[in-house]
Amino acid sequence: MDSAERQIYRAAIAGDRDAFETMIRTISRPLFAIAYGILQNREEAEDAVQDAFVKAWKSRWRVRDPEKFPAWLGSIARHRAHDILRRRRSVPLDDDLNQLAAEIEPDNAERHAQVRSALATLPELHRSAVALRYLEQMDYATIEQTLGLTNGALRGILGRALGALRKELKPALAAMS
Amino acid sequence: MTTIHDQIDELLAADLHEQLSEAERHELHMHLVECAECRQLHREHQLMNTMLNDTFEEAKPDLKFEQRTLAAFRDRVPDRGPGMMRFVVIAMRSRATQIAAIAAVLLALVQTGRMITGEGNGASSRQEYVASAVAPKAAPPPPVALASRSTNRPAKAATGSASGIEAAAAPAARLQVETADRDVAAEASTVNSLRTERAVADAKKDNSKTQESVDVAAAADAEASPAPARITDNRKLVRNAQVDLEVRSFDEAVQKITGFAAEDRGYVATTNSDKQENGKLRGELVVKVLPENLDRFLGKLRGVGELKNQSLTTEDVTKQYFDTDARLKNARAMEQRLLEVLKRKSDDINDLLAVEKELGRVREEIEKMQGELKYMDAQVQFATVTIQLAEKDMDIPAAFLLKERAQLALFTPEVEKTYNDIKALASREVQITNATLDRDNSGRVSARVSMLIAPEESDDVIAKTKTMGRVENFQVQTERVARGGEGMSENAKTERDKVELNISLSRDEQEQALQQTSLSIRAGDVNDRTKQVRTLSEKNAGRIRSSSFSRDPDGREVANISVRVPMKNYNALMKSLDSLGRVENVSVTRQDRPNAQIDEQNAPADVSIQVYSQGNIVSQNTGLLATLRRTIAQGAAALMWSVRMIGVALAFFAPWVLAFAGVIWLVRRIKRARRERANRVS
Repeated sequence: MDSAERQIYRAAIAGDRDAFETMIRTISRPLFAIAYGILQNREEAEDAVQDAFVKAWKSRWRVRDPEKFPAWLGSIARHRAHDILRRRRSVPLDDDLNQLAAEIEPDNAERHAQVRSALATLPELHRSAVALRYLEQMDYATIEQTLGLTNGALRGILGRALGALRKELKPALAAMS
Repeated sequence: MTTIHDQIDELLAADLHEQLSEAERHELHMHLVECAECRQLHREHQLMNTMLNDTFEEAKPDLKFEQRTLAAFRDRVPDRGPGMMRFVVIAMRSRATQIAAIAAVLLALVQTGRMITGEGNGASSRQEYVASAVAPKAAPPPPVALASRSTNRPAKAATGSASGIEAAAAPAARLQVETADRDVAAEASTVNSLRTERAVADAKKDNSKTQESVDVAAAADAEASPAPARITDNRKLVRNAQVDLEVRSFDEAVQKITGFAAEDRGYVATTNSDKQENGKLRGELVVKVLPENLDRFLGKLRGVGELKNQSLTTEDVTKQYFDTDARLKNARAMEQRLLEVLKRKSDDINDLLAVEKELGRVREEIEKMQGELKYMDAQVQFATVTIQLAEKDMDIPAAFLLKERAQLALFTPEVEKTYNDIKALASREVQITNATLDRDNSGRVSARVSMLIAPEESDDVIAKTKTMGRVENFQVQTERVARGGEGMSENAKTERDKVELNISLSRDEQEQALQQTSLSIRAGDVNDRTKQVRTLSEKNAGRIRSSSFSRDPDGREVANISVRVPMKNYNALMKSLDSLGRVENVSVTRQDRPNAQIDEQNAPADVSIQVYSQGNIVSQNTGLLATLRRTIAQGAAALMWSVRMIGVALAFFAPWVLAFAGVIWLVRRIKRARRERANRVS
């Protein structure tokens, strides 16, 4: 984190609205990735991000260290997404997927559905990490910072997540090759 | 090798994400060349990477995503804060503003504290004080103002220290006052004004009053010494001095003082002396000296003895003198005119009489005023010095008086007889001062006699009184009273004064027994045995103090007899009681009074005797019915007790049960509400 970013975070914590809005611009995409990783739904993920910012603004005084502000926002977004996920439990996942799948070409649609269902088997943290990597192309250090992970922990997480995905997608991969 | 193989997923992923270090990448690729299985995995990962990229590509938020998020945020959190507030918030972020704010708050607190305690006012008033004290030094004002100031100031200092409010400022103020006084004195010597003169004198008076120390008086004296040089003939000043001296010999001192007075062209006006009981002399001398010699005379007085106190006062009678003088002149003129009227020889006799009368009044007035002037002249011509002389060791007492006071408490069988016997002791050496005899309704008699006995007779009389009864208490209090002084003296004589004896008489019934015994005797016929006890006690010079008799439903008879015998007959009585029956439960309590000089042979001993019979062998409380009744009663009592215990237990548990039920009900309610909300959402 460079000093300009730290300055912005500090101002945002102190209640400077301009700083907070600047921060919304820079950090909303990673938060979306986290929420999407959990929810697998764009609209819901967007809602979660918006909720997370409102909640963060209201309870920003709780953050002491500006360095940890992104991680704190990340955790709010994750909790928010988790709440939404729990609330829609009764809604069948497949409807949403099928609807999406119908929009794109059949071959791809089937493959995407396979990937999604494979992703759904992963733990939430792993899904968020995968989403941050593939949606935002972030490097490992930034992902760790955003998820509040210790240095070097992400490599193991991603390794395990992709290993699990590989096993889940084995038939599809075999068919492709 | 094995490590890479185990971590192959992690390494392959990191490789695809280009997050491996050069060394790791090299090592991984070397492994892939060797390991076919891992090569397969590598391919799978590559494929999966493409799939994931494709899948997430379409999930990417569109370009307006940030705008939407921002708009939603602005919509949901309106920027309500007013500009000022926001400015303050932003300003407070800087360290300098924070420090300034803290400093401002602290300053405000300090100011508030000052306002509450009123500290600021005190400081400013002290400054004023110092300033006013310094003022005369800087610019000497006219002498009149100066004088009034110097007289006012000691009073101010005195009130300040008395009230205590300006306690801190007072010492400083007094110091200032003293220096100011000295300035005044210096000024006065040059100005040579009458008022300043008086002011100096007044200031001296105040000083000696407030501090009352010989040193200060001496200092005042030293300062006053230039005063005579300034006295001019047209001023009428009356100077008085008061001196207290302690001398070794009164007569010697009087001689010396008379000599000093003659040297300074003065004279001793009056002397008086007073001889104390211890032979020491105390007296007063009034000496008249010429005013200009007064200070020299006072200086000489110091040599006579130890100076205890000295005060000097000056009274200005100039105005009074000249007023009287003027009035006298007027009166003389009046007299002259009246005489002229008389000379004209008027025919009217009434006029003549009126003129005569007026003339008489005017002459009387003239004489009075002449007398006043003469008196003032005498006062002014000579200063009056009043000298109090006291010989050393005034406090040593002349003699001591030994006062003896004795208290005697007697027990006697017949109070009235003893009372009369004591009263019969009255003679020239023994004077009864007070005698009272009390007899109350219950027949209790007590008496009190107070007497004064000549010292030489006192021992005999007291000894004789003691034999009239049994002594309960005897106290002698001796006091040595000094006469003619308060101190100690080795040589003073000691005399014995009359002895005061207070006797209180009470009947020996009220005396506490030296020994108390209680015992029981079992006998067949209680009545008979009781009678025997009575005869036995009478035989041993004992008296029955109380007796009682009772019979209970079981036919048991009990008699209680309390007997008092002299100690010398106690053993004989106890022995004879053995013959009456089986003596049981004997207990003896002895009230030994150590160091008490009592007549033990005649001291009273109390014996409480209980004579009782066995009564019926079988009590009514035995038998089948009685047992049954007791059993039922105890059973019922046990039941009642258990019921009460159950009640207590219920009362103890009920609040807990209620609280638990309430909590469970609340939790269920919340759960149901959540479920319903979830259903509604779905």
